Amino acid sequence: MNNLFTYFLFFIFLAATVGGWGWPYIAKLMPVYVAAIPGLILVVAQLARDAFGKAPAAETGGGSIDMDEVYTAQLESKVEVRRTLLFFAWFIGGALGIWLLGIVIALPVLVLLYALIEGKESWTTSLVMTACTFLLIWGLFEYMLETRWPAGLLFGY
Amino acid sequence: MEMSLLDAAIKGLTNILHLKVFLAMMLGVSIGTFTAVAPQGLGMPLVYAILLPVVVRWEPVTGMALLIGASSVSAICAAYLPILFGIPGGSGSQATVLDGYPMGKRGEGRRALGASFMAGGMGCLVGTFTLALAIPAAQPLIYLMGAPELFVVVLWGLSMVAVLAGRRPIKGLIAAAFGLLIATVGQQGQSGIMRFVFDQPYLLDGIPLSIIALALFGIPSALDLALTKIGVEQQPAPLKGSLLDGVKDTLREWWLVLRCSFIGVWVGIVPGIGSQVVDWLAYGHAAQTSKDARNFGKGDVRGVIAPESANDAKDGGDLVTTLLLGFPQGVVTALFIVALLAWGYLPGPEMVKKNLDIVYSVVWIQGISGVIGTLVGFVLAAQLAKLAEVRYSVMVPIIFIFVLMGAFSVNRDPIDLLVVVVFGIIGYLMRRFGYPRPAMILGLVLGGLMETYLYRSMASYGFSWLARPSVIVLLSLAAISFLLTMRARLKSSPKVQAA
Repeated sequence: MNNLFTYFLFFIFLAATVGGWGWPYIAKLMPVYVAAIPGLILVVAQLARDAFGKAPAAETGGGSIDMDEVYTAQLESKVEVRRTLLFFAWFIGGALGIWLLGIVIALPVLVLLYALIEGKESWTTSLVMTACTFLLIWGLFEYMLETRWPAGLLFGY
Repeated sequence: MEMSLLDAAIKGLTNILHLKVFLAMMLGVSIGTFTAVAPQGLGMPLVYAILLPVVVRWEPVTGMALLIGASSVSAICAAYLPILFGIPGGSGSQATVLDGYPMGKRGEGRRALGASFMAGGMGCLVGTFTLALAIPAAQPLIYLMGAPELFVVVLWGLSMVAVLAGRRPIKGLIAAAFGLLIATVGQQGQSGIMRFVFDQPYLLDGIPLSIIALALFGIPSALDLALTKIGVEQQPAPLKGSLLDGVKDTLREWWLVLRCSFIGVWVGIVPGIGSQVVDWLAYGHAAQTSKDARNFGKGDVRGVIAPESANDAKDGGDLVTTLLLGFPQGVVTALFIVALLAWGYLPGPEMVKKNLDIVYSVVWIQGISGVIGTLVGFVLAAQLAKLAEVRYSVMVPIIFIFVLMGAFSVNRDPIDLLVVVVFGIIGYLMRRFGYPRPAMILGLVLGGLMETYLYRSMASYGFSWLARPSVIVLLSLAAISFLLTMRARLKSSPKVQAA
């Protein structure tokens, strides 16, 4: 499970190497020779490290500082998976909503539903948040800055 | 057109003397303040990612005022959470909790905040002066650089990934390679060949960097809040005492402020040390050099002054490498480079040669927003404390709005939404499995530059550019810097943790 993303990167680098192999030298220098092939080698090295149980220093208690925060699960695995899936469902739902309904309708609806259902906020708070979202998107962008957001697919995008 | 240093400094100032620039700076200051005080999960990388799609459409100096205004005040106001809630703030203000929170609990919250604002403001000015002085110092060297030297400088920046990735150097390099690969999507400028376009017109110009940054940092931040379902649960320490006492403390400890500010600048300039250690280094220095260190950890105001001055001075140091060499020291400066590229500037030697006035505008904005940030902290101390109690159920939709709206505003194309979803998932997976996202951004940002300089070097000199003395010197410096930083990092980390 922990190696799934590493395998994903392996296939990306492999596909890039194969896909770019037939290009002229000048075009494949960066994507193939500088990025994909070294990437493949590094991914194999990482998989080998994982296979032989070489955990990074962080997991063995010593070591130094990371340039990015590393997620350390503090929730029960089932709860974490459920909340993560739910989160992405909301997010992807929002993106789909914009595609179908347009941003002026979709984002206020997303905020209202999220605040009510997921956040369990009161109707008053949820409606205030929704109104603020609508004012931001329509009032500020469409009305004041004259930024025309495209209508959704259902309204003839 | 090239101009003298004085002319550039004056032009840099006149560039920012416009109402809209000032308003953008104030907006940036407000956003930065909210970010610093708001519940965990928000941070400057997220704010930069959200603002990028918007500001790249603005005039450059106005956009810079917004971005730099936000980041400089965010550092100054980062002490709220440590002092009032005992929660380590963003990176750079974590050591403040050791003495700030005990001060807050015993009714000296205002004094601690006053000291933090004053030390932060002074640190910010020291960092800004260093940046201003670094430009004339570096300029003669910069004028000697051609495409081969610039290629080596970019390579140097990229080599820092292995150092910055700390405990996961291989994963850092993989992430950077992934970023480099993504950077090559689209039509190649030199040959006109379509790379990884798959007959999609959307991909002809490559995947928009601002959407990738927005997705990589925005989605995981919102997910954090949704997973933990908290904002800040603790009750804040009562806001008592006097801000003025903190100011007096800081002025009395001016020598400590100066020393720690230079530690901050040094951490900012030297590649690979990282912002996470700056406060600990300064705190350790203060504790080691104090005659009476018994109260450190129990509410000694010097334990607030030292990390805050270093943390704010570091921003100036960060900008030295970002603007003069063109490689970022962290996520925020990487995203700042994305913005500079979008405005048509090539950060690094080319920018110093061609856009010196803009470099000085950044210096001015950095200094002025630092002063404004300090004043905002003093004037709105009590009101800002209330912001820290915003719930996750309010924050998550706000992030949703800005991520989706920011992504969709780039091309107003539904594919923007697909890209933000895909890279949002990739960002989550990278964070979940320990692949540093800044390394990917570094690869993305530097990939295009690297290819351009490499192409120019090869076209002009063939392989003989590798034998140029300046290239050999720069390559040697890069190798020495890489090895020394790696060694220093391995040596210093346990001490830092112990501090």
